[in-house]
Amino acid sequence: MKCIITIELGTNGVRIFAFDLSGHVIGSMKGYYPSFHTEPDYSEQDPEQIFITTLYVLKNLLNEYIHPKEYKVSCICFSAAMHSVLAVDRNGNPLGNAITWSDNRAKQEAWELRSSALGKSLYAATGTPIHPMSPMLKIAWIRNHDKERFRQTSKFLSIKSYIIHQLTGEYMIDYSIASATGLLNIHTVTWEADALQYAGITDAQLPGLAPVSATAGKLKKAYQQSLGLPVETKILIGSSDGCLATLGDGAKGEGEATITIEDSGAVRVMGPAVLKDEQMRFFNYVLTEDRYVSGGPTNNGGNIFEWFTRQFGDFNNPFDIEHSMQQLIEEASRAPVGSDGLLFLPYLLGERAPIWNANARGVYFGLNIKHERRHFVRAAIEGIMYEIYSIGKTLSEQRNIESLSVNGSFGTIPFCTQLIADMFNKPVRLRRKFHSVSFGAWLLSATEMGIYKTLEQAARTVELPDVYKPDEQHHAVYADYFGIFEKLSNKLFDEFEAISNLQHKHAITKYTST
Amino acid sequence: MNQFVLQHGKSAELRLFPYMLELGMKKNGAILPNTFLTTATEGIRIYYIIEGKFEWRIDHQPYFFYPGDVALILPGKPFGSDNGTLEIGSFAWIHLDIQKQDNGYILPGKWSGLSESEGAAIGRMLSLNSSPVLSRFSEAGKILKCIQTELFAHEIGYQTRINHQVDELLIKMIRHMSRQVRPGRDFPKAFLRLEEVLRQNLSHQWTVDEMAALVGLGTTLFTERVKSYSGFSPINYLINIRISEAIKLLKRPDISVTDIALDTGFYSSQHFATTFKKLTGHRPSEFRKHHLRNE
Repeated sequence: MKCIITIELGTNGVRIFAFDLSGHVIGSMKGYYPSFHTEPDYSEQDPEQIFITTLYVLKNLLNEYIHPKEYKVSCICFSAAMHSVLAVDRNGNPLGNAITWSDNRAKQEAWELRSSALGKSLYAATGTPIHPMSPMLKIAWIRNHDKERFRQTSKFLSIKSYIIHQLTGEYMIDYSIASATGLLNIHTVTWEADALQYAGITDAQLPGLAPVSATAGKLKKAYQQSLGLPVETKILIGSSDGCLATLGDGAKGEGEATITIEDSGAVRVMGPAVLKDEQMRFFNYVLTEDRYVSGGPTNNGGNIFEWFTRQFGDFNNPFDIEHSMQQLIEEASRAPVGSDGLLFLPYLLGERAPIWNANARGVYFGLNIKHERRHFVRAAIEGIMYEIYSIGKTLSEQRNIESLSVNGSFGTIPFCTQLIADMFNKPVRLRRKFHSVSFGAWLLSATEMGIYKTLEQAARTVELPDVYKPDEQHHAVYADYFGIFEKLSNKLFDEFEAISNLQHKHAITKYTST
Repeated sequence: MNQFVLQHGKSAELRLFPYMLELGMKKNGAILPNTFLTTATEGIRIYYIIEGKFEWRIDHQPYFFYPGDVALILPGKPFGSDNGTLEIGSFAWIHLDIQKQDNGYILPGKWSGLSESEGAAIGRMLSLNSSPVLSRFSEAGKILKCIQTELFAHEIGYQTRINHQVDELLIKMIRHMSRQVRPGRDFPKAFLRLEEVLRQNLSHQWTVDEMAALVGLGTTLFTERVKSYSGFSPINYLINIRISEAIKLLKRPDISVTDIALDTGFYSSQHFATTFKKLTGHRPSEFRKHHLRNE
């Protein structure tokens, strides 16, 4: 029997699934790898640790589910988090750690470029918002601040490109990941000369561009042996987590939006045209030459509720955050819809879409003497969802959104999914059994293997049976409060900047005085 | 309770407890200059604050201590107060002679009833502890009080009882330390700290007990949490880090494979080679050859 393996290189670790050819999960395993924050704005990962963890988990999965049942692995397909940068020398060996999407060291570069004419034209050409997450800006930062590393760098890779290079020896990057680097012209699907020039590199310093369905070389002999995989095992380069989550939820185009809420979140739509936006609020990433995944990302998703739980949850069992979160959600459900007018702006990590304001901070607003603890809990969750709705609302200025699907560990908590349905006043579908990203990778592999003729046909077979229906009355309450939420998010611009400056100032004084 | 000081070699009360270098209680009614001078000793020193507020300097850093707090001073660390000033208040203390191993870690001595592995884990935790302040730790005060009472009362079984109390003090300190640093809320953070400690001491033969103690959990719960969080058992996670670090070193031409094996915590180069090959399909030397080919 044949099977397909999907490898998802995520922010917190790797998830590997084995599927049979009808899309059923044979087995799955995960492996964690950490992010290191050696400076306040830094977020790095060890590329060797990612590689070894991936290899280890893959080997365990094969030994546990695949080899004993004599499955034949037809194809291994990759997905990965976007926006990572790893500099390697001419031997392909890493020069330091990989810089991840959440790294903000290039904020000065981003700030300057965003307000310039060049910034606007680069955004229009590349589809990647001018933000420190963008690899173009990270490379520019390395050029400006880490000259020795810049000089020694033979190539700037993404984490996925590095892992594939380790396994097959090829230097490749797929269109989706490439379109999230800020260096790719998403209209021509070639490297954008102005962006390369801004970063200070040439296209020879980047891996080779390939469509998401491309084969990324053959597994090296040593890995064929250690993993017990034949040479003909197809290594499919795959796409990005964002694009595949959208595909995996069966998005075909018009009228559909996909909401992902893990630690962070995003609202995405898919279509044949890019979203143009004067205010540069949306990303446009390439799934295939005629299929763009567009939308807006938020920094503040499940991680904000986890933060809340760590501060205010009960933790009867040490380190059992799931249990504590569950208790809080039960408490939230005992508070009325709209939290009796207590609003929460969830911007603890600054914010990307739709306000794109790194200085934004968290706010409780509207507190009165009758509010209780349960209101705070519910308001925290509602605030995260208002922000998701706010992205959706901005998107709907350009795209008609009829139906929604939700994925991600936080978004699929029933209480949260119902909030989304109520706020959007639209039915919400979701998949319970497994990860949308990996299923998107399965759809891609199955199409490449000829099981489906096109990705669109593949996407049409996706059935998301769970439907959460909106409650009209709840919607009316949320709609009232959302008006204030939205106004506050913009109105507080000056105060956000002032408090953020003060926080920096006093953080620094504290350091220097001791 | 009255003030007292007992010292090893001088006080007959300590004859049966040669590891107990000093035991005392001090009540200070007026600020005294030049009395609490900075010293460094071979033993480990534990001070429990009963009353008052003290500003002491440990290893050149100033700290404040309040009633119920414990100051823990490791062997060789300078400890005292600026200008030797002793503030008003009272405190009790004990100085313990502790074995120092070649690798710099400390071990309780033969008097201890702790098992070899638990003793080693506790010594290691003490060495790795970054803060000398154990706040709100009144149990330490009770134990010191108990040792003192036993020592002066000479009731049947007091020698054993005192030895037990000192073990008890060490155990309670370690448990208090790990809960103080990690109050059981943020596993990702606790795990990341553990990872940092493991990476800094990769050549050490870590046991699951030691790792669990660093996170402040019992072994069973720790193993469960690590497994569900990381997908690996603690030991496999450690192997993961070892091989990742080894790969980095193999990509540099200047360290021998044997040194890499030992630096990254493998028993031998043979053990390293077998583990490495199982995962990567290459022996370390072959792997190195492939990755340095253009040099």
